[in-house]
Amino acid sequence: MAETLLRVENVCKHFGGIYAVDGVNMNIREGGIWGLVGPNGSGKSTLFNTILGLQHPNSGGIYFKGQRTNNMAPHQIYDLGVVNGFQIPRLFPSLTVLDNMLVAARGQQGDGFFNSLFLREKWQKQEELLTDEALDILELIELRKHIFSTAGELSGGQRKLLEIARALMAHPTLLLLDEPAAGINPVLGKKVFQKLQDLSCSGMTFFIVEHRLEILFEFASWIYVMDKGKTVAEGNPEDIVKEAAFYQAYLGKE
Amino acid sequence: MDPSMYLLDLVVFIGIFGIMSLSLNLEFGFTGLANFGKVVFFLIGAYSYALLSQAGFPFYLCLIIGALIAAVFGFLISLPALRLRTDYLAIVILTSGEIIRLIVKTEDWIAGGDWGTSVAPAIALPGASAHAGILVNIGLVYVCLFICFTISRLLTNSPYGRVMRAIREDEVAAEALGKDRAKYKAQILMLGSAMAGLAGGLYVQYLHYVLPGMFLPIVTFTVWIMVLLGGPANCWGALLGAALVEVFDRGANLAKDLLTLPTDASNLQYILFGVLILLVLLYRPQGLLKESAVKTRATERVRSLGGAVRNKED
Repeated sequence: MAETLLRVENVCKHFGGIYAVDGVNMNIREGGIWGLVGPNGSGKSTLFNTILGLQHPNSGGIYFKGQRTNNMAPHQIYDLGVVNGFQIPRLFPSLTVLDNMLVAARGQQGDGFFNSLFLREKWQKQEELLTDEALDILELIELRKHIFSTAGELSGGQRKLLEIARALMAHPTLLLLDEPAAGINPVLGKKVFQKLQDLSCSGMTFFIVEHRLEILFEFASWIYVMDKGKTVAEGNPEDIVKEAAFYQAYLGKE
Repeated sequence: MDPSMYLLDLVVFIGIFGIMSLSLNLEFGFTGLANFGKVVFFLIGAYSYALLSQAGFPFYLCLIIGALIAAVFGFLISLPALRLRTDYLAIVILTSGEIIRLIVKTEDWIAGGDWGTSVAPAIALPGASAHAGILVNIGLVYVCLFICFTISRLLTNSPYGRVMRAIREDEVAAEALGKDRAKYKAQILMLGSAMAGLAGGLYVQYLHYVLPGMFLPIVTFTVWIMVLLGGPANCWGALLGAALVEVFDRGANLAKDLLTLPTDASNLQYILFGVLILLVLLYRPQGLLKESAVKTRATERVRSLGGAVRNKED
């Protein structure tokens, strides 16, 4: 069995008296696509934020490769290899599409103060390679011809795609995506998932919140169901559709 | 006064405030740090220069140490910058600037208090004409300006410059992409403050005196007008803005002599500055020169190929 990558242990996050995340346990192993579903307001995005360090849990523990990340800053969690794509894209609107991609690239030699001034030859070489990588990813999501448009000029669906593409530039070990297929046409949405699956075969792990269940269930290997801040069911997609708790969470049926 | 001296004096001022404008451009234009206390670092550089030169240090050490002390203050200012949003940070810096000015004003022992103190010129030429003196100053100021301009250009056209802009656009997203925003903000405030400190040193050695009245908050706002007018996030824009504002400033003073107005024309310039800034923000919010994209060898290569690739596809 593959090694545990992310362990969420009894995590609680409350805002005032409202428990957005209420004692969640998860165990995400290396490789594959892991799904997280649940009705709106069930705590999925809050859980993601605590994993990313954007919010700190009130109690419980989050461990990435055995290292406790509860109180780490987002950039430190990025350094460990956890990257995300925001649900509502948070691009850099007046930067070009290409610059949005390049800013995310991991391990850049030229993003330090002195290096940028004095090691120009070194980072320029590295950037040539990163640019080629960025162009390949942009080709796949059909944004290749928009590289010099600013991100603010893109349509909603294109922004969503760029958000995912940008996260891929960061070579994540674990990539968290919040509704990647929302707002993207079905054919392209499926293509994106196909690409994610290819990447997961090469060792990348994905943890994805998605309401488009038909796509998610086709590609995911394990599904967690959340409702009212708790995990109410988990299993592989074939089994989870038979779970009563899944139906109750989504449709409110007994 | 000899009109050519007036012109040369203008050139010196454009150089000194060009450095100020470049430094605010790095902070605000590129990184989005609303530094409403530019004058503090100008003051610190100026007083450091004055005190060090009185203590007998050579002028270049006075300039360098002044810039370093200003950088230390820049670092201190960056500490609240980690916790505060842009608008609150602006208030903190603005008020701390006034506090420091009031300290040097009331503490006579520092540098003569309200009366100020005299400062020796950086490069004294005994027996030389006033012309020669001012030309030496132009040389000194523009060497410094060139260094600051080159640093600005290299820094902003690099992956580092990309991160600066990313922090300006969405600092949470930048942080989630692994950029330690605290570190970047501190570095930029230190660099910007060092440049402002350098400008302060150049300023007082040129004027031969330093007093608290030279460092009113209006200096900060003048530099802001330069950046907003010239074009934030464009290094040439910062210089253009500095030149225009200085020329405008001189023009208002000349107008005083040429026109008979019911009021003092040099006070009118503040009203005119206000109108100018409104017009710029309403009709040309990006400034006279647009933000320039990050230009690196790799992106320029793609840009040069861009046309061909597009033709093939279309």
